[in-house]
Amino acid sequence: MSAAERIPGVEVRHDAPSESALREVVFDVEGLTVAYGGKPALSGVSLEVYKNFVTAFIGPSGCGKSTFIRCFNRMNDLIPSATVDGTILYHGEDLYGREVDPVEVRRLIGMVFQKPNPFPKSIYDNVAFGPRVLGLKDGLDDRVRHALEQAALWDEVKSRLKESALSLSGGQQQRLCIARALAVEPEVILMDEPASALDPISTTRIEDLMDELKREYTIVIVTHNMQQAARVADMTAFFSVEVDENRDARTGILVEYDVTTKIFTNPSDQRTEDYVTGRFG
Amino acid sequence: MRVGFHEALDQLEASLQEEGSLVLRVLRGAVTALVGHDLELADEVIAFDDEVDSRYFAIEEGIQDLLARQTPVATDLRLVLAVLHINLHLERMADYCVTIAKLVKLAPDVAGDPTLVEGFQDMGARAEEMIELAMDAFAKRDLAEAESLVELDELIDRANRRVVQHVLSLGSDPKLQEWGLRMMIVSRCLERIGDHAVDVGERVAYLVTGEFREFTDASR
Repeated sequence: MSAAERIPGVEVRHDAPSESALREVVFDVEGLTVAYGGKPALSGVSLEVYKNFVTAFIGPSGCGKSTFIRCFNRMNDLIPSATVDGTILYHGEDLYGREVDPVEVRRLIGMVFQKPNPFPKSIYDNVAFGPRVLGLKDGLDDRVRHALEQAALWDEVKSRLKESALSLSGGQQQRLCIARALAVEPEVILMDEPASALDPISTTRIEDLMDELKREYTIVIVTHNMQQAARVADMTAFFSVEVDENRDARTGILVEYDVTTKIFTNPSDQRTEDYVTGRFG
Repeated sequence: MRVGFHEALDQLEASLQEEGSLVLRVLRGAVTALVGHDLELADEVIAFDDEVDSRYFAIEEGIQDLLARQTPVATDLRLVLAVLHINLHLERMADYCVTIAKLVKLAPDVAGDPTLVEGFQDMGARAEEMIELAMDAFAKRDLAEAESLVELDELIDRANRRVVQHVLSLGSDPKLQEWGLRMMIVSRCLERIGDHAVDVGERVAYLVTGEFREFTDASR
């Protein structure tokens, strides 16, 4: 049975498999290899990311999970020594095709980073920045409000929108960064360790938020916190590091990708089992 | 490595095996008291249940601690869940042994049907074998051994069904009839112990395969 066939809420009739019965694929990754300065950081990854799901990437340090998530909005383009081989289809279109504009990619596929990184501007301007750059000036106030509401921050900041974003707490700053990503109406939100710098209450708010946001967006998250993946993700991919001692090389590989419950109750691969149960390293 | 956690898990499993040994002792005691109409031994069996209960609660507390603090997943999670269920099954088996001991004390002191008494000895031995097999399958994570419990259980079930015929043929002596009625419950207790051993086997199968299923369909 393929991973897609086990997705909760998706019924697959084995006698008559039907494409339409499967969940819509947002990203179709095939044989992806990323190298920095000729050294592969991640090798031969193939998986599908499904619409309106939270998909989590877990694995030890150096397994390439952050490298991988950065491929989805072409962030690796910004690193001169990085090369990306293989294909990532975004709704069937080659994300790395020559005619594709990386700026447009990053509008459709937003990103939130580990450390909240608001601009040293007002709360309002932080959220309005993206739409202004894209020339979306009509109804800007409504757009800002809507994004802040979606990020579950509006009630806390509505009376002080002109104050500096830096006056907010860490958890609020992270939700502001999520609002900033939402303001340009993306389809996908990539989150690289979005809660690792936050306290438990702020972490819970971000996790609750992911659950809300996935109704409208597709979310991909990298997390060090396995239990966070278990709590928030519909699908989980486990990455590991393959060490080639002869060449002194360490390469990230995808070990297993499945429905989150399966990964955390009965994983198929012993390496996943060893990692999630803490028998690794 | 989560050394402390895995040690705690190992201890929990060892403790469950010890509980299994206690249940075997209490079952042996109950059947011996029954066959020899030994009221003193019956009292000991009843008192011994406290030992099983304290082990049962200690295991439950250990599970609570692991779930609250360690968030077990994958095999560890399945093991914790298996221990949780098997613990309860063992405790129930011990309770059935206590019921048998109480029935020994309640049954009138008459020379009962020797065939029936011999049958209980056999059923008791069979139940012991099933508990040993179930706990061994658990220790070895042996799916085939766990599944073999179904056949053994069928033997106890058949013996239990024969008891009714024997009791009906005991005659009209009211004391003998009362004895017979009490013995029907004894038989039922032994039969239920076999069922619980099968349930333990099902938990072993879950632990090994990750799938929830019953070995046999009770509705058939």
